Amino acid sequence: MSEKDKYTVVEAPEGYSAPGFFATTLDKAVGLARKNSLWPLPFATSCCGIEFMATMGAHYDLGRFGAERLSFSPRQADLLMVMGTIAKKMAPVVQQIYEQMAEPRWVIAVGACASSGGVFDTYSVLQGIDKVVPVDVYVPGCPPRPEQIIDGFLKIQELVGNEPLRRRYSPEYKEMLESYGIKIDK
Amino acid sequence: MEYSILLQELKNKFDKSILSIDETADIPTVVISSTSVKEIISFLKEQQNFIFLTDLCGIHYPEQEKELGVIYHLHNLVDNKRLRLKTFVTKANPQIESIVSVFSGANWMERETFDFYGVDFVGHPNLIRILNVEYMDYHPMLKEYPLEDATRTDKDDRFFGR
Amino acid sequence: MKTINSEHHLDLTKEDEKVYSTLNLGPTHPATHGIFQNVLTMNGETIVATEQTIGYIHRAFEKIAERRPYYQITTLTDRLNYCSSPLNNIGWHLAVEKLLGVETNKRVDYMRIIVMELARIADHLVCNSVIGVDSGALTGFVYLFQEREKIYEIYEELCGARLTTNLGCVGGFDRDFSIVAIQKIREVMKGLPKVLHEFENLLMRNRIFMDRTINVGGITADRALNYGFSGPCLRAAGIDYDVRVQEPYSSYNDFDFIVPIGQNGDTYDRFCVRQTEMWESIKLVNNALENLPEGKFNTEVPAFYFPPKEDVYSKMEPLISHFKKVMGEIDIPAKEIYKAVEGANGELGFYVVADGGRTPYRLHFRRPGFIYYQAFPEMIAGQSLSDAILTMSSMNVIAGELDA
Repeated sequence: MSEKDKYTVVEAPEGYSAPGFFATTLDKAVGLARKNSLWPLPFATSCCGIEFMATMGAHYDLGRFGAERLSFSPRQADLLMVMGTIAKKMAPVVQQIYEQMAEPRWVIAVGACASSGGVFDTYSVLQGIDKVVPVDVYVPGCPPRPEQIIDGFLKIQELVGNEPLRRRYSPEYKEMLESYGIKIDK
Repeated sequence: MEYSILLQELKNKFDKSILSIDETADIPTVVISSTSVKEIISFLKEQQNFIFLTDLCGIHYPEQEKELGVIYHLHNLVDNKRLRLKTFVTKANPQIESIVSVFSGANWMERETFDFYGVDFVGHPNLIRILNVEYMDYHPMLKEYPLEDATRTDKDDRFFGR
Repeated sequence: MKTINSEHHLDLTKEDEKVYSTLNLGPTHPATHGIFQNVLTMNGETIVATEQTIGYIHRAFEKIAERRPYYQITTLTDRLNYCSSPLNNIGWHLAVEKLLGVETNKRVDYMRIIVMELARIADHLVCNSVIGVDSGALTGFVYLFQEREKIYEIYEELCGARLTTNLGCVGGFDRDFSIVAIQKIREVMKGLPKVLHEFENLLMRNRIFMDRTINVGGITADRALNYGFSGPCLRAAGIDYDVRVQEPYSSYNDFDFIVPIGQNGDTYDRFCVRQTEMWESIKLVNNALENLPEGKFNTEVPAFYFPPKEDVYSKMEPLISHFKKVMGEIDIPAKEIYKAVEGANGELGFYVVADGGRTPYRLHFRRPGFIYYQAFPEMIAGQSLSDAILTMSSMNVIAGELDA
């Protein structure tokens, strides 16, 4: 039917297929499932939070990419979206929220303030959240347009889809977390 | 209620506490002594209809002997007249009586002034820092402290013109 | 003996302590629009006392402002109440014009009224739809945010940015309203009444919404005045104080508009006051657009007017004058002023102490949200947690305005 031409479905990963089965590697299959059903935690602090509200609205709809279910509890979230300025008073809270998230977890820094302190080079503003948590994608802008936020989200999806399964257990990863002072609980 | 009548009444009632009056500014400005702040503001609220405290902020003039200033903006909503009161204290003894019992809205404004300038409001129910972190040990808006955080590592001052 | 919230001096006995529990609301919480913390002491479901902590987004605006020339401070004012940035921008430009003693022509005034009222509509759209979301009605949010997208398109046409607009300059605007901009404003004003009616049908006489918001989070008129309330929160309590009427600026006295007031100062009154203000703003924009006088789109302010770039690159005089202005050798009088405008949340004031130099000596923002949020513990004492959430969202507490 011509209906099928109007929308696109996510592509299958590389693999062998024949009637009745499809064979691919486990990490590609898991990556495909994870990336199209990310549950973001919108950590919206200031102006970028309002642009995020517009991104979740009907016009720019982030739900198309699988992120319809926002989770405000870190225990149930995959992606920490830090949007807005983080002051030094708030930095321990960001780290606490990050620690409460279960692996695998990703962080996207939306906005100039979250990436590097932005316009606010002052005594009270943390110059970028990568001083307290490891960040995967930075989205610049003040505030970034919804299209840019969606672009950052697509890059996260790329990272999620291509991640090797044992990455979170590797010693380099644990060392990196330790360098931020993040407690790893067994 | 004309300004000239009001200012005359103020001068008559609180003669020694009124240090100077400036009627040429955009809002008539009265400089008062720091010991009679609460008295004058209560008088203005109860008797002269200045029922609205618009603003309370601090200022720092390092070259003056009395360095720290607190500036009150009052508004008479009945006659639509504004008034500005200023008072100055030294850094060594920055005590001013708190006006929280007169205007409840002064609570956080006095905390902010304490946080930024170190002015001590006597009689305030909870005078602790409000906007900055609790462990900060200096008052940042004073002119001698820089804007940027001295401990930051990622920004090279040479490229930022500082 | 423990005292909770030393400001309100609640003394508890040992028996009481067993009954009361503590609930932490924030700083990151889906229902708090912005980051601030409230530690609630509860007796079962009833709130007994609240301890508030703000400052989680303190960005030191007032200290930054002492280092920036007057035309660069506009970008700081954007980020105060970031749901209605153009209002703050124009308020700041009015303050600098008061400092310099500049009078703008009628066309600039009417253009400013159009932009300011659009910003007020945008802010009230967010606030009212979010009151709906917090009481469980998510549909209104989606409908009203579409209208906000259209207003963003108008801002983009005027100044290039959607949210933090940095709109205009001291003396007026950088460019005239283009034909596309005027067309877009007309379209939005035509389409807005239908959407507002739809939203009102969903919520305003809805039994559930009324039960959740009437007599919730109320404050009496004289307590509100004592705290320094202004804006819709004060008008909901019954006092008709509106800076546009008391101290008209930017030719507001040419227009006839109603200032709505409520009776109880509760959440429902705040919702209705904001809704009515949106209707009045639509009338104001339509009137101003219809009667837009001819003239130049800005008043030349010698201290801040940059000559056109073609002249700067080719002639000597404009080059020198451009250089001097950017480097700060301009004549600013050394005096202090206080200028207030009616922001979306109330009286937004700018207290500027100028010392004749390139940057202000002291700039203080009188932020309405900071001042009336102090009354929150009093407003929710004795009510339940869900009432507290609705009260907070109806007060339109924006964290950027709280902390500056």
